[in-house]
Amino acid sequence: MNKIRNILEDFDCEYIEDYKKVWLKTKINSKDDLLSVAQKLKTEGLSSLSTVSPTDFLEENIMEINYFFEDLNTKRNLWLKVDLPRDEKLCEIESLTPLFPSANWHEREAFSMFGVQFLNHPDLRDIIKSEDFKGLYPFRVDFDWETHEKDIVSNMNKIVSSFKKEQEENEVDLDIDSSETILNWGPTHPASGPIRLRVHCDGEEIINIDPDIGYVWRALEHLVTKKDFIGAIVAVERLCFMDNINSMVGYAMAVEEIAGVEITPFAKWMRVLLGEVARVSSHFMGLGGFFNNMGLHTLAMWNMDTREFFLDFLESYSGARIATASVEPGGVRYGLDMSMFDELQKALDKFDTTIDEVDAIFVNNPTMKLRANNVGVLSADEICQYGLSGIVARASGVKTDIRIDEPYAAYDELDLKYITQENGSAKDRFVMLFKELKNSVDIIKKAKAHIQKSVDNKEMNPTKDHLVKVPKKLPKGEAISRVEWARGEVLMHLVTKEKAKSPYRLKMRAPSFNHTMMLNHLLKGQTLSDIPLIFGSLYICQGDLDR
Amino acid sequence: MTDILFEAFIFPGLLYVLVWTVGLYWFFRKFMAALHKRVGPSFNGIAGSYQTLFDLSKLLTKESITPVGVNPYLFSMMPLFSLIFAMLPSAFIPWMDGSVVIDTQFGLLALVVLIGIEPFLLFLTGFGSNNKYSFLGGIRILTQSISMETTFLLAALSPAVLFSTMNLGTIVEQSSWFSFFILFPGFILYFISLLGLLEQPPFNIPDAEQEIVNGFYTEYSGTNFFILQVAKFAEFMAIFAGAVTLFFGAYKGLFFDSFFFFFIKMLLIAIVMMTIRAATPRITLKQMLSFSWKYMVPLALLNLAWVLFAKSIWFMGV
Repeated sequence: MNKIRNILEDFDCEYIEDYKKVWLKTKINSKDDLLSVAQKLKTEGLSSLSTVSPTDFLEENIMEINYFFEDLNTKRNLWLKVDLPRDEKLCEIESLTPLFPSANWHEREAFSMFGVQFLNHPDLRDIIKSEDFKGLYPFRVDFDWETHEKDIVSNMNKIVSSFKKEQEENEVDLDIDSSETILNWGPTHPASGPIRLRVHCDGEEIINIDPDIGYVWRALEHLVTKKDFIGAIVAVERLCFMDNINSMVGYAMAVEEIAGVEITPFAKWMRVLLGEVARVSSHFMGLGGFFNNMGLHTLAMWNMDTREFFLDFLESYSGARIATASVEPGGVRYGLDMSMFDELQKALDKFDTTIDEVDAIFVNNPTMKLRANNVGVLSADEICQYGLSGIVARASGVKTDIRIDEPYAAYDELDLKYITQENGSAKDRFVMLFKELKNSVDIIKKAKAHIQKSVDNKEMNPTKDHLVKVPKKLPKGEAISRVEWARGEVLMHLVTKEKAKSPYRLKMRAPSFNHTMMLNHLLKGQTLSDIPLIFGSLYICQGDLDR
Repeated sequence: MTDILFEAFIFPGLLYVLVWTVGLYWFFRKFMAALHKRVGPSFNGIAGSYQTLFDLSKLLTKESITPVGVNPYLFSMMPLFSLIFAMLPSAFIPWMDGSVVIDTQFGLLALVVLIGIEPFLLFLTGFGSNNKYSFLGGIRILTQSISMETTFLLAALSPAVLFSTMNLGTIVEQSSWFSFFILFPGFILYFISLLGLLEQPPFNIPDAEQEIVNGFYTEYSGTNFFILQVAKFAEFMAIFAGAVTLFFGAYKGLFFDSFFFFFIKMLLIAIVMMTIRAATPRITLKQMLSFSWKYMVPLALLNLAWVLFAKSIWFMGV
């Protein structure tokens, strides 16, 4: 930390301060310093750029860019701010993509949504937003959504005509004598989900891949600013339906930090419990999806069978099976009726009786090993460079897990260890997922036992302790929170104004964005058969890809 | 005359194939559901047995769409051809004692040739669809059938070598428990190449849903798709029946000989195939090629040598 501080002191900084345990927060006064600061930070070891998040301050006429640098190995992080003029022509800054490949799509997103021009960016095209927003910057505060959405017909026409134009010009540049072609893998492909990969291929061989995303863009980051702090959780949990609880935990933590509220131990443990149940249900889908992508649906079906029992618990707790909306700022939404634990016990029993079959038939499946052993290999270096997280990072042997690095909720009271795999191939990511699943179930068991014991000892009151009051109006402030989501690290950057009733800006950094960025890197030179396999092994969810 | 009409339209002709398709389709669904821990079709009929009938009749009556830009002749005629060619082998199969429609010295040859034509017809459906996925699927099925048919032919030859005849009826008559054990390695090879020819996992490469949508099926709907489905099940029947005839003594049973035993043996092969389907992911085209040419073909040749050796010791008089 001190080394980073020393580096920063050489430059013209407005302030350098400690933030939480593992963060350093700073603001540099001149945007011209950015490149040289970044260069020095990279040599110091902060090699991943987690995300680039602009905040648009209309009254001050400032576009504030937040950079979040992370060092996955030594757990030192830096939050760096720099101000730009808000005017569209002057709003430009040096791109960090040449130094930090992970910044690539994040800068493109900032460009598409806020109109920040990144100089020397290798590939500054629009991303995520649909064609009718071309030349417009929807996340700017003064963007007029109402007028834009009134004219539905012309917006639709713009999308259709741009689609037709692309269809016509798609293959114009290709050499007619060669067998090169452009194949669309998605968005209505059986295995793709709402994402489209433009696969430039020669027969079965892939020349390169250009992912086209944004098919489920709901502008969640804009949507939350229209809701109050409680209502926003509905938008936040829709980051991805498979693990929605942990994303709500992240948002709730950021709000609590600004409000200065400390939640009860019971609520903390409930967040661990619910979060792990959601993680388990997500991992079940991920494991099944991996085999689905190789044409084998048995594991997905078996997993659905067990997953239902975990969803039963969520249903008994919150009334909803998937979109539970059960974590809110101040704790968890509902009290716990101790008989609900019977439901959870049923799920755990079901898990214990079926997991060995899955291990024997699928985790040790020889054909799967034949397919997945040597494809999609990511080295530990690449993980840091591209800012990958979650099971993808741990499958390559990188010890990163927010639950341990920056413990939240009650994770610091649990004795957790890093679970890693060695080689970083698609198979390792699958095995990693399976190990994580088992680990999560262990955590559920521990959390359940702890809550049960504390309630029996009258240390916790399950019907009253669940929620602490959080004021409806929040002071001016900003906070970041990180959670270990099922797919990796989610970073929430929340900004509020004075007496705010709703968030001013919420940036959600979601892991699938970085993971999808890797597709071209991993698939170049492979065959068409590897697309679904590697795509499935990266554990991508289109919900948090587009947000 | 009535005999010919009966054979063409009832047994072992069209009606038989249709009933087999409906029945086997239902059986596959139910059996797969059990392996998946699902229920499967359950509302219509006993254990959902009408469901497949309804599904297929719905497909048959749906509008058949011929997309703009396809070759209409190839697109619409190839499904019919593939159905006819898939149904022809059953004329050479001795379903019951002494009831072969075409009793010829070249029964085995006809069987192998007719089964071998099928993938080429399916390639033409993909070629005629004028669609990238279909074309890739067509290329894949051609690649796969060429590599798998070599083993298939060599494995199917082993009973002919053992009994010195290509007449399927004679092969069945001469088969015994003893010959079953001699031919067993041949059956294993036949079964693996059967998986390849029928595009079953782990060799379901040509219609790999997750890679190239549905391969050569992609553009098909309605009646044409129905015909292709029936052709696929007729092909199942031809290849299963070939296996039962060549290796398992066809209609020969434990206490009496009957078509019943023929049917049970075919179902057993189907069950093994489905179990493999439920537990094995797909391999890639490259892996299939190297598996086929590096291991299967040499083993098939070795198997022929073994059969010749066995014949010279135990079957010299035959």
